[in-house]
Amino acid sequence: MTLLACHDLVVGWGEHSVLSDIDLEVQPNEILALLGRSGCGKSTLLRTLCGLLPPLSGEVVLFDRPLYAIGREERERLMRRIGVAFQQDALFSSMNIEDNVMLPLRELTRLPGSVMREMVRMRLELVGLANLAHRLPAHISGGQRKRAALARASILDPEIIFCDEPTAGLDPVLTADIDATLIKFRDVLGCTIVTVTHELESIRATADRAIMLAKGHVAATGTIEQLTQSRDETVFEFFHARTG
Amino acid sequence: MHTEVERRGRTALVRVRGDMAIPTARELYGTLRALCRRRDLDKVVLDFSATDRVDSAGAAVVGIMRRSLEHAGKQLEIASADERQAAALELAPPKVAHAPVEPQPTRLELIGDHALAIVATLRALGGLVADTLRQGLAVLARRRRMPAGSISTHVLLMGSDAVFIVGLLSFLLGMTIAFQGAVQLAKFGAGVYVADMVSWSMVREFAPLITAIVLTGRTGAAIASELGAMRVNNEIDALVAMGVSPVRFLVLPRLAALTIVGPALTLIATFIGIAGGFVVAAVMQNTAPATFWNHMTYRVEIGDFAQGIAKSIAFAWIIGLTGSHLGLRTGHDATAVGRSTTRSVVVSIFFIILVDALFATFISFGERT
Repeated sequence: MTLLACHDLVVGWGEHSVLSDIDLEVQPNEILALLGRSGCGKSTLLRTLCGLLPPLSGEVVLFDRPLYAIGREERERLMRRIGVAFQQDALFSSMNIEDNVMLPLRELTRLPGSVMREMVRMRLELVGLANLAHRLPAHISGGQRKRAALARASILDPEIIFCDEPTAGLDPVLTADIDATLIKFRDVLGCTIVTVTHELESIRATADRAIMLAKGHVAATGTIEQLTQSRDETVFEFFHARTG
Repeated sequence: MHTEVERRGRTALVRVRGDMAIPTARELYGTLRALCRRRDLDKVVLDFSATDRVDSAGAAVVGIMRRSLEHAGKQLEIASADERQAAALELAPPKVAHAPVEPQPTRLELIGDHALAIVATLRALGGLVADTLRQGLAVLARRRRMPAGSISTHVLLMGSDAVFIVGLLSFLLGMTIAFQGAVQLAKFGAGVYVADMVSWSMVREFAPLITAIVLTGRTGAAIASELGAMRVNNEIDALVAMGVSPVRFLVLPRLAALTIVGPALTLIATFIGIAGGFVVAAVMQNTAPATFWNHMTYRVEIGDFAQGIAKSIAFAWIIGLTGSHLGLRTGHDATAVGRSTTRSVVVSIFFIILVDALFATFISFGERT
């Protein structure tokens, strides 16, 4: 089964194309990083891959189905098998953290209340927020909100989790925590993770494979070792900007 | 998923076939819970040899059952779980550490909180009024400047779009007053006094009031939501950080525009409302235009116009200050903007009616003495 793939994809906003000729296939149980400099279209591509932004042309195949060519109900069914952690957390400000994380369970499953609460507690424990379950999003820090968003995105044990800059703006300790959590999702829950990032340490710690985007196209693809040793100018600059 | 329960003395062996996942967790929960309640059991063995995938829901069910059995003095044993299943089960921590819940305030504390909130609101409103006056004086003395073109932009936004609705409502209101008045006055043979009634009530009362209500719904709500959205987006903080007064930059232009738009719309409402009254008087009572005009000019004095305009300025300031105050004090969550907008409409209308009543009381008292 094709978990996630796209062919001849052109993504962008309105009439304006940001990326073109994108071909990729995501392997089960891998962490795939979408890399590139700010403004190169990583988040736009991620939104298209996870069903939130129709492509200008080309096809996205999710769980063997053409994501943008199927009906609304079938798309909603497919979307329930994925989780998305947004860059700006997108937590509901009127709900506390526990209710935010529980929302997908309440809306999409018929589990008993005690099982739902236990699942939320487990997930909050996993992301280190168990003691903040009753706080409102406005009353916790940005890093904690990001972790709560990750907990919500993963609460249904989705087959694919899409993360948009999960570690942006976090200190090294929190970054390492989130990286460890993503690895745990992959190893324990069997999730596939597609993440957008430009944090080199994070990429090295988590990603099995990466796709480098530059100048509106895929500049390179491969394992982190392969990309680090790439002679391509853009890729080399990205990985060796600090070391010169 | 399918579960088989086998009894071996005081031990129950539960064999789960298939996935222990979200779609099947409810059934598994029911089976294990029933076993948990049985008094003739000391131990439950959960056999994973025929189990495929264990997800968070499966792990949660096992975690709950482990605690329930322990609480009842029983034991849960996991058998034949592979590495991945064991790792998934480890997600459920053995001990429950409940998140601390904030203690609920007592009734007395709640009353105290409300009283303090009212005091804080009044203080903030007083601060806004004082700051507005200070900034206004600084602008008048040319020591400070308002953003270029801001007043004219707001006058256009607040005024031009409101002319039609204010005109239409006033016309209908003038007609309604004339209808009601004509029927009642005709009983006393005083039908011709419809002109006096319509013109006097429109100038002194209804035109300022209907204009204020329309401005509250359109402009006051817009001010509260605009400033509230700016608050949520940290734009107000950005102004403060730049050393730019949010009152001078945002509140003063809107208040100045309302000071122009309020009286202007009130005058338009007055004339259109009287025209509505004339149409009814002409159709129902065959009142000649000259008769209507004579009665109107005899009854309405320049002081009545001044009173209507004074009211409209007071109402405009109530609308502007309430909208600005609630907009600037909006919280940082998504629902806060909606709350501020709703409150601005309710509070503005309350104060408009209150001030209108005060005007009526003081003026009638002054006219008697």
